[in-house]
Amino acid sequence: MSSYNPAAKKESILDLKMFLGKEICVKFTGGREVQGILKGYDQLVNITLDQTQEFIRDPQDPLTVTDEKRFLGLVVCRGSSVMMVCPTEGCMSIPNPYEE
Amino acid sequence: MLPLSLLRTGQNHQILVELKNGETYNGILVNCDNWMNINLKNVIRTSKDTDKFWKIQSCYIRGNTIKYISVPDEIIDLVVEEEHTFKSYQPTGRGDGSGRGRGRGGENSRGRGEYTGRGRGDYSNRGRGGGTGGDSSSSRGRGDGSTRGRGGEFRGRGGRGRGGVPS
Amino acid sequence: MSFGSSSLGDEVDKKLIVVLRDGKKFIGTMRTFDQFANIVLQDTIERVYVGDCYSDKSLGVFFIRGDNVVILGEIDPDKEVQEKRLQKVSWDEIQKLYELEKQKKEEEEQLKRKIMTDSGLTIDSILNIDEF
Repeated sequence: MSSYNPAAKKESILDLKMFLGKEICVKFTGGREVQGILKGYDQLVNITLDQTQEFIRDPQDPLTVTDEKRFLGLVVCRGSSVMMVCPTEGCMSIPNPYEE
Repeated sequence: MLPLSLLRTGQNHQILVELKNGETYNGILVNCDNWMNINLKNVIRTSKDTDKFWKIQSCYIRGNTIKYISVPDEIIDLVVEEEHTFKSYQPTGRGDGSGRGRGRGGENSRGRGEYTGRGRGDYSNRGRGGGTGGDSSSSRGRGDGSTRGRGGEFRGRGGRGRGGVPS
Repeated sequence: MSFGSSSLGDEVDKKLIVVLRDGKKFIGTMRTFDQFANIVLQDTIERVYVGDCYSDKSLGVFFIRGDNVVILGEIDPDKEVQEKRLQKVSWDEIQKLYELEKQKKEEEEQLKRKIMTDSGLTIDSILNIDEF
């Protein structure tokens, strides 16, 4: 069993070091979605992004995102509202993969 | 066996995670931690209305945004195996019956274990016992549902320990 | 036996129905839980009810995060068998029925919202759903 390891508790399982300088996509609670180049981070997953673009949300449904963007520049994201982090490279839109 | 340990056993298996906003992420669990934050790889992300799909190499999902996780059926069998090897290895079992009791819940049994040791012969410890148990009502010497196995024993001890104490 | 308190430990290995905040209903055998009421269900099915019809979808082992749970109900196996009023239909059919229901409700909501905004009151519909 991956047993109780006190040392491991101090590290986050998210290794943002790998993504430094790369473009990442960050989703926030409340539905905002943002893409930018990772400049810095800390243990609480506070993140600084450069050349950030925010995806505009559908006014009817604040949880779905359209293709419109607005440019934000240098941004600090608060870790407590970060919901998901993923690198944009290797990320692509695909047709329904569950259809047989 | 706690739910989080089941999740930890599920590492390297394909899981489906639905988040509170309705999106689903189907991918291989790389890592998880005590807050249920997870790392997935080779992920297929489906939008809330199940009309848009993305393929993502890897992603990190914060635990508090998860609604539920669907794991393959084999995981239950894997955990049962792990529990056996863990039990045979553990010398002290941390004294809180977490190895023994299925579904006891970590917090309940730990509070109980600490309390019975301290509160027994010493009336003045009542507040302190309650404090560590995390629940002042438990210091009044009444067993709760989860002590079913040891309920009678506990009550008897409590009675003897504080014959004249109005509880 | 306890007096005046309860715990999920009494429900282990019992068949439960779990209702989540978004309205989904899962039925399964509860295997384990923790202090946050995170639950693991085995042989889980998701059941959707629309009117007098229902449908099941088999899901296997499920891990539900405690903060999404609204109700946990123990299912009496005898009473479950006696259920005659509800009619079981296929998954696709129930989805269609569900969509129709949803449409109707949406239209009602739209109408309500329009009336409110016309009279100067705003409803923040986000308040009705989780902040995610």
